[in-house]
Amino acid sequence: MKIRYFIIRRLVLMVPTLIGLTLFTFVLLYSLELTHETQLVSQYINPHSKDIAAQLRKAKIALGLNLSFPQQYILFLERLVNGTWGFFPTQFPMFGGLPVLEGIEKSLPNTVQLAFFATLLSVILSIPIGTYIGARPNSVSDNVGRVFSLVGYAFPVFVLGILLQLLFSRAGVVPRLIGVTGLPIGGTMPTFTSPPSWFRAGTTYPTHIPILDGILNGDFSFSWGAFIYVILPVLTITYGLLAGLLRFIRSGMVDSLSQEYVKTARSKGVPESWVIRTHVRRNAMIPAITVMVLAFAALLGGVVVVEDIFSYHGMGLLALNSVLDFAPYGVLSTTFFFGIIIVIANLVVDVIYALLDPRIRY
Amino acid sequence: MDLTVEATLESEIVSRKHPRVEDFISTLKVFVKNRIALAGLIIVVIYAIIAILDWVYPAYLGIKSGFDLSDALVTFHMSTYLGKPILYPSPITGSLIPFTIGVSYGVPPYGSGAIITLIPPTLHGPTNTPGWWWIFGSTAYNLPIFPVMLASLKWDLTYTVVIVLIGAAIGTIVGTFAGFYGGATDEAIMRVTDIFFSIPFLVLAMAILYVMGVSINNVLLALIIIWWPIYARLTRGQALSVKANKFVEAATASGSSRIRTMFVHILPNVLAPVFVQISLDLGTVIALFATLDFLGFHYTSIYLPELGNMITWGDQTRYLFATPMNWWPFLIPALFLVIFTIAVNLLGDGLRDVLDPKLRR
Repeated sequence: MKIRYFIIRRLVLMVPTLIGLTLFTFVLLYSLELTHETQLVSQYINPHSKDIAAQLRKAKIALGLNLSFPQQYILFLERLVNGTWGFFPTQFPMFGGLPVLEGIEKSLPNTVQLAFFATLLSVILSIPIGTYIGARPNSVSDNVGRVFSLVGYAFPVFVLGILLQLLFSRAGVVPRLIGVTGLPIGGTMPTFTSPPSWFRAGTTYPTHIPILDGILNGDFSFSWGAFIYVILPVLTITYGLLAGLLRFIRSGMVDSLSQEYVKTARSKGVPESWVIRTHVRRNAMIPAITVMVLAFAALLGGVVVVEDIFSYHGMGLLALNSVLDFAPYGVLSTTFFFGIIIVIANLVVDVIYALLDPRIRY
Repeated sequence: MDLTVEATLESEIVSRKHPRVEDFISTLKVFVKNRIALAGLIIVVIYAIIAILDWVYPAYLGIKSGFDLSDALVTFHMSTYLGKPILYPSPITGSLIPFTIGVSYGVPPYGSGAIITLIPPTLHGPTNTPGWWWIFGSTAYNLPIFPVMLASLKWDLTYTVVIVLIGAAIGTIVGTFAGFYGGATDEAIMRVTDIFFSIPFLVLAMAILYVMGVSINNVLLALIIIWWPIYARLTRGQALSVKANKFVEAATASGSSRIRTMFVHILPNVLAPVFVQISLDLGTVIALFATLDFLGFHYTSIYLPELGNMITWGDQTRYLFATPMNWWPFLIPALFLVIFTIAVNLLGDGLRDVLDPKLRR
């Protein structure tokens, strides 16, 4: 089967998941109508008006809350496609009174920045380290690696994040001991005393990704400053990711080491480093790639905690603030959006998988 | 020669126990050989004993029956110390050190502006309360960390076990059903689990809690809703492979009904990976519990001793007195939690090794 057909088949298989995701989000909305009705319509009501009841009725009709379940679902899908995803309440931090999509537009790039560095770092570190320890099962380095990944598995993200803050932030232990300025304890990017034209209301333009925008606008010191803000959150996320990846690469390596084709290669006289690189590692990487999806989902979940600890304004903090500050449309949209990201990540990984392992395509 | 062989065979036949018992004993031998997993098991058992003891006879732990945090607050009420520096003996030199009093930035029960004290780890209490209460110092609201930590295990472990066991039971039955019946039923159930897997479970928990409202019962319900799909997917794959065995065919041929086949022949054979998953999930769920509390879902009463509560207070009082930083109110309960999650992971790994027949003999 050609890879083109595989991708088409995979896209078709994605449809029921997407329908399920919209249905799930809609069920959330529908139950919100029963429990949080006033919060849902509050944006459409003038609190100073005399006849609140009439306004409430009008708002409910305008929002379609009087319709039946299937009718409301159709309306929901229509709004999803139109991009009318509702508003944040006026007292919401950062995005008060603004459309939800605008909040996502300005938060997502910050999270993309985090996820990019975390994924990059964990992949760069895990492949050589995993190969090294996997090729030497039960050695000292292997045991160190196992303890390292076990601790990474067991540490809750928020404990690790605060531990890093205690150690490396400005008031932390390590900078105090060696007498350097520590890393910032929280925040998204440096602030300006006189902001340039591409920096408005805590957001950079044109891409909204702070480091990239600094480079695009020629302000490298801003990019460097933004990078410093990213270091601790990225390290926190990376440790968990790295722990999972190392574990799977190691077990994949150990499994492939005992395969017949490795014995054949060795008895042919192929150099050991060549055996490890081409015969063992390549086969060990295939299961590790599937784990990448799960790791990515865990990353997005972990992002909520990490962004809360480091008060980093990304999707995770937006989702958390939506829940804690009673923004119903924010909750629905962020949940749906996280779902979409993972569905797409699944697709990408399946395609990579099929490219690497031709057996999958049949 | 022949005679001796026969004799040993005979003695073997005589001494042979029930195959399940024999299987269990050999499993136990393999497990005990794995020292690290054994250490994990011992730590988990110690935690479990503390929790159970707290249920049945809390006095053994030096904790009053029905202990809640208001008891600890009464014994060390801050109004006694208002405006006076507290003197406590230094653990190293024994000389009296004046202790600074700071102002908290308001969480119930006292609200903003309440004066609280944090006592660093010491062997001597600043009052006539028992000395060992203070070996880990105190956390916000003057709560001695050590007894509160022990008391918090009772609720944390109970809730965690309830969530994981109910989730595992539902997931195992649904997954076995899907794998055994196959066809459209299987497809439908697997598509439902797909939805759960396509949203990060923390975000899912937050959304469900938002809809249902934050309370301890709803947290239990939300986590059970999130947890069953893991087991459903796990057992479904297992059931598919068990279904292909000859003994299932034989059972069907000898007139076993489908329900009976599912519960008697399939279900016991899919349980091994479920146990491994349960042991791993105990750690995940207890950490998720603390995480939710840390993120701001204060689902328990402020008076309920709970690790998430304690870690949150420790975090909030980190910078109360700027130098030196208060590391202990956060770090000690957090490490107490981490030790449990590490132990549970060790136990799970050990169980996996034991239950994997490839590594068995």
